[in-house]
Amino acid sequence: MFYREAGTFKTTYAEDMALFPLPITRWSIRVLLVLVIAVVPLVLHEYYLSIFNLIFIAIVGALGLNILVGYTGQISIGHAAFMSVGAYTAANLAVKLGLPFWITLPAGGLMAAFIGVIVGMPSLRIKGTYLAIATLASQLIIEWIINHTPAISGGAAAAIEVARPTIAGYELKSQRDLYFFTLFFALVAIVATMNLVRSRIGRAFIAIRDQDIAAEIIGINIYRYKLIAFAISSFYAGVCGVLYTYYFGIATYEAFQIVVSIDYLAMVIIGGLGSVLGSVLGAIFVTALPVVIRIMVETFGGYIWDPAALSAVAASMRLIIFGSLIIFFLVVEPEGLARLWRNTRNYFRAWPFSY
Amino acid sequence: MTKQTTAWLRAGALAGSILASGPALAQDKEIVIGAQCDRTGPTQIVGNVLCPAYHHYMALVNKRGGVEGYKIKVLEIDHEYKVPPAIESHERFKKEGAIMTSAFGTPQLLALLKKFEEDKMPVTSPGIGSSAAADGKKYPYVFPIAATYWSQTGGAVEFAKRQLGGSLKDKKIAYMFFDNPAGREPLPLLEELAKSEGFQMRTFGVPSPGIEMGAQVLDVTGRFKPDFVIAHLFGRAPSVMIKELKGKGFPLSKVVGLVWAGAEADIIAAGGYGIAEGYHTIQYAGVGAEFKVITEIKEMLKAEGKTLGKEFESTVTFNRGVYQGAVHVAAIANAIKAKNGGKPNGEDLRKGFEQVKGLDPSLDGLAPPLALTAEDHEGGGWVQIWSIKGGKFVKTQDWFQGYRKEVLKHVEEENKK
Amino acid sequence: MKEEFEFLFSLVVSGLSIGMMYSLIALGFVLVYKATDAINFAQGEFVMLAGFICAGMLAASVPLWMAIPIAIIAMVVFSFALERVVLRPLLGRPVVAVIMATIGLAAILRGLPPITIGSQTLTIPLPIGDEPVKFLGTSLAQIQVLGLVVSAACLGGFTWFFMKSRMGVAMRAVADNQQVAMAMGINVERYFAIAWAMAGIVAALGGIIWGSMLGVDTQLALVGLKVFPVVILGGLDSIIGAVVGGLIIGVVESVAAGYLDPIVGGGTKDFAPYVVMIIALMFRPYGLFGKHKIERI
Repeated sequence: MFYREAGTFKTTYAEDMALFPLPITRWSIRVLLVLVIAVVPLVLHEYYLSIFNLIFIAIVGALGLNILVGYTGQISIGHAAFMSVGAYTAANLAVKLGLPFWITLPAGGLMAAFIGVIVGMPSLRIKGTYLAIATLASQLIIEWIINHTPAISGGAAAAIEVARPTIAGYELKSQRDLYFFTLFFALVAIVATMNLVRSRIGRAFIAIRDQDIAAEIIGINIYRYKLIAFAISSFYAGVCGVLYTYYFGIATYEAFQIVVSIDYLAMVIIGGLGSVLGSVLGAIFVTALPVVIRIMVETFGGYIWDPAALSAVAASMRLIIFGSLIIFFLVVEPEGLARLWRNTRNYFRAWPFSY
Repeated sequence: MTKQTTAWLRAGALAGSILASGPALAQDKEIVIGAQCDRTGPTQIVGNVLCPAYHHYMALVNKRGGVEGYKIKVLEIDHEYKVPPAIESHERFKKEGAIMTSAFGTPQLLALLKKFEEDKMPVTSPGIGSSAAADGKKYPYVFPIAATYWSQTGGAVEFAKRQLGGSLKDKKIAYMFFDNPAGREPLPLLEELAKSEGFQMRTFGVPSPGIEMGAQVLDVTGRFKPDFVIAHLFGRAPSVMIKELKGKGFPLSKVVGLVWAGAEADIIAAGGYGIAEGYHTIQYAGVGAEFKVITEIKEMLKAEGKTLGKEFESTVTFNRGVYQGAVHVAAIANAIKAKNGGKPNGEDLRKGFEQVKGLDPSLDGLAPPLALTAEDHEGGGWVQIWSIKGGKFVKTQDWFQGYRKEVLKHVEEENKK
Repeated sequence: MKEEFEFLFSLVVSGLSIGMMYSLIALGFVLVYKATDAINFAQGEFVMLAGFICAGMLAASVPLWMAIPIAIIAMVVFSFALERVVLRPLLGRPVVAVIMATIGLAAILRGLPPITIGSQTLTIPLPIGDEPVKFLGTSLAQIQVLGLVVSAACLGGFTWFFMKSRMGVAMRAVADNQQVAMAMGINVERYFAIAWAMAGIVAALGGIIWGSMLGVDTQLALVGLKVFPVVILGGLDSIIGAVVGGLIIGVVESVAAGYLDPIVGGGTKDFAPYVVMIIALMFRPYGLFGKHKIERI
C-alpha cells in the first residue's frame, strides 16, 4: 500500500538513475534527514548524542568493511588495524606538523588505503577462510609494528594526544558539537558508498563476489579490482580511525584491537552483507543494543535478581543476550536486518489485500 | 474486589514502580559516583573482585551514616574493556549527576582524559594508566591515588638492592614485562636506574595473551642468569611465569612482581602456595582479611542475612577496592567540609582530593600513609612487599618509597616533553 | 658454542612440547572444518567450558576419575545440542554466517561463568608431580609430558578412525562431496553431528590439560587464539597438518623468543607465527597439507 512502484513513471534517464526512484523513499529520507540534523541534536540530552556519535563513527567503518566483505566477498578480520593506521597517521600529522583535521582526515584514509593494498596482496592467491585468517595476521603484525616503533606510536605509552578539531576558530568539544562533525562524515560515507556500488567499480566488485572466474572471463581484471576493494575499504577504515582519534582526543592502538575487528564484522553480518542500509542498521544494532540491554536489566532486573548483585548480573546478561540475539538473527534471517526490513516493506506493499 | 481487578491493580503498581525507578536525578543529600568496571572482558578476574569490594565499602559507609550527612550512590557500568562503551558510560554518569569517576583500564582512561578535563570531573586510576599523571599540575583531574608503575618499579629495584646486600653494582636484573604500553611504561626509569646504580639489565617481552613463556624463561634462567627478576605481567602471565621459573629451578625468592602480578588468583593458577613459595609481590594496599574494615563489612553482610560472595576469597584485589573507596570518601568529606555542608561539584571534589591526608581509621594497616597534594596526585608512591611464605602472604617490608627522588624527576621530565 | 647449542636444543624441545599442546586445540577446529566446512571461532571458549565443568565438579568434591568422563560427556552433549540448534539451520549459508554464529556463541559462553559458577580461578589438580622430567640436558614439566602423550594419542586415534573405521571413511566421503555421499546413502546430517561431538571430546581433553596447566577461569579461552596460525599453516582440513602446524608454530615461537626478542627488544612471539604463516600461504595457498579444491563454474 505504501511502498509501490506502480504509478511512478520515469520520463528521463536522470530519473531512472536517481538514488531513490520512489517518491515515498524520497519523502521518508527527507523527514529522516530533518530529524537527524535538526531535531535530534536540539532535543536530546548529551548522553544520547554520545551514543549517536559512536554510531555515526561506526557507520563509516562498517560501510568500509561491507564494501570488502559484502560487495567483493573478501573476508577480513583485520579491519581495526587500518583504523589504527589512520589514527596514528592523523595524530602524527596533527601533532608534529600542526595540520588541521580536514587535511589529516583524508591523509589518514589514504595511508590506510596504501597499507590496505599491501595487506590485500595475499588475496590474489587465497580466499575464503584462509584470507580471513591472513587478514587476522596482518592485524597482529600492524599492531606489533605500531607498538614497537616510537616514531609512529610517539613513545612507550603508544598514545598521542590530539587537539579537538576546530572549524573557523571554533573548537568542537561537547557531544553536541561533535555530533555534527561525525554526522557529516557518516552522511558523506553513506552517499559515497551508495554511488560507488552502482558504478562500474561497484558492479565489478559484485561480479567478483558472485563468481570470480566468470568475472574474469567477461573482462574484469580481478586482481586490480580486489586491490581496489581493499584500498577503498581501508580508506573508510582509516577515516573511521581518524574520527575516533578526534572523538577520543587521543590515538591509542589499544582501542583498535581484534575485538574491534570482530565487532565490525558483527555489524556487517547482522546488518546485512552487500547492503548500505545493512551497514547502517548493523552499526546501530551493535553499538546501541548493549546499552539498551543494560538499561533493561537495570530497570527490570530488580524483580528477578537481588538489586545489590545487579551490576554483576547486568554485565553478564548483556553478553548473553547479545550473543543469543546474534545467533537468533542468523538462524532466522541469515541475510541480516536489511533483508528483514525489505521483507517487512514488501509485506506492506499489497497490504491489506495481500494474496 | 474480583481477582481480575486485583491483578490489574498489581500490574498497574508494577508499571508505576518501573517508571518511578527509571533514571532518577541525583537526590539532594546524595553524592553520585560513576564507577567503570570490567566484569566480562579480559580483566574480569580483577573487576569481579575489585568492583564488589568497592560497593561493599560504600554500603558500609552509608550504613555508618554516610559522609558528612550525605549518602553515597555508586553507579556501575561494565565496559568489557572496550573503549566506546567507556565513552558512553561517562556521558551516562554525567547525566545521572555523578561528580567523579572511578576509572578501570588504561585505554579507557586515555580516551576520556580530555573529557574529564572539559567536564571538570576528577577521576581516580589506582594501579592503571600513565604514571606521568601523578603530576597534578599537568593533569589536574587525574588522581592515580596509589603507587604508579614508576613508583612500583622504584620500590622493586630498591627491594632487589636490599635483598642483594645493599648494592646493585655489577648485578644482573631481568625485567619480564607484558609487551604492551603498560608493560613498557617502567622501561625508561629502569634504564636510568641501571645507569645510576651500575646494574646490568635485560628485558624479556611477553606478548599477549601470555599463556606460554617457555622460551623467555629458558632465556632468563639458561642464558642471562640474573641475580634478580622484576616481573610486570598481567592476566594469566604471572602464574605461567611462576610455574615456568619453578620448573627450571630458579629460586622464586629472587623474583618480585609488580601489582598486577601478585593476587591470590595468580598463586592458585600457578599451582598453589607450595609452588610459589618465596615469591615476592609489590602491593599498594594491604593483604589479608585481618583488618577492622573487612570484619565490619562481613558483619554488615551477615546482619543483612547475606552470604559472603566469592569476591572475599581474593583479599589482594578486594582490599584494593576498599582502599579506593576509602580515598574517594575522604575526598568527598573534604569537599563537603570546604563548602560548609553544601553539595560539592566536580571542581570542589578535585580540591577535596588534593587535601586527602589519612583515611578512614578502620583501614589502619590496609592503607598507605597517603597524602595527596596539588602537585602530587599519587600521594607519595608508597608500596609494601608481601611474600609467599608457609602457604600464605606474609608482609616482608612495610610501607616505603623506592627511589622517590628519581621517580619524581622522571615524572617531571616526562611532562616537560 | 656447546652452551649455545644446548640453549637452542632446549628452546626447540620446549617449542615442540608446547606446539603439541597447540595441536590438541587445533584438532577440534580441524575435525569440525573437515566434515562441515564450519569455522569455529569459539574453540577457545569450548576449551574454557570443558575446564569449568571439570574444575566445577572437583570443587563440588566429585573425584577426578569421575569428573573427567563427566566433562567429556557433557561436552559431547553440548556439541550435539549446538549442532542441532544453531548450526544445522545455517547449513549452506555463507562462511561468514557460521563464523558470526560461533562468535555469538563465544559471547554467551564468556557471559555465563560470572553469574553461575563465579569468575574466580579454579584448579584441576591432576595426580602428577611438580618435579620436571630431565633428559638430554634439558627438562620438561610433567604436565607438558602428559599433554604430549594425550595429544599424540588423540591424533593417532583420529587418524586411525578416519583411515580405517567405517564411520571415518563415511565422514571423509561427506567431507569430499556431500551430494555424492548423500546419494550413496550416507546420512550426512548425522555425520555433521558426530564431527561436532568429536570436537567436543577434544575440547574436553584440551580443557582438562590446559586447565590444569593454566588454572581455570575465563582466561583459559585465550588458548583459542593460538589455533589460527596452526591450522592455516597445516591446512584447515588436515589432521596431520594440525600436528605439523602445531609443532612448527611451537618451535618458531620458541626460537623467535630466544633469538629475535633480544634484538628487537619486544615480544615477537605473537606475530612471528603469523609471518611464517603468510609466507607459507604465498607458496602453498591451502596450507602444507590442506586439500586443494578445484573450482568449477
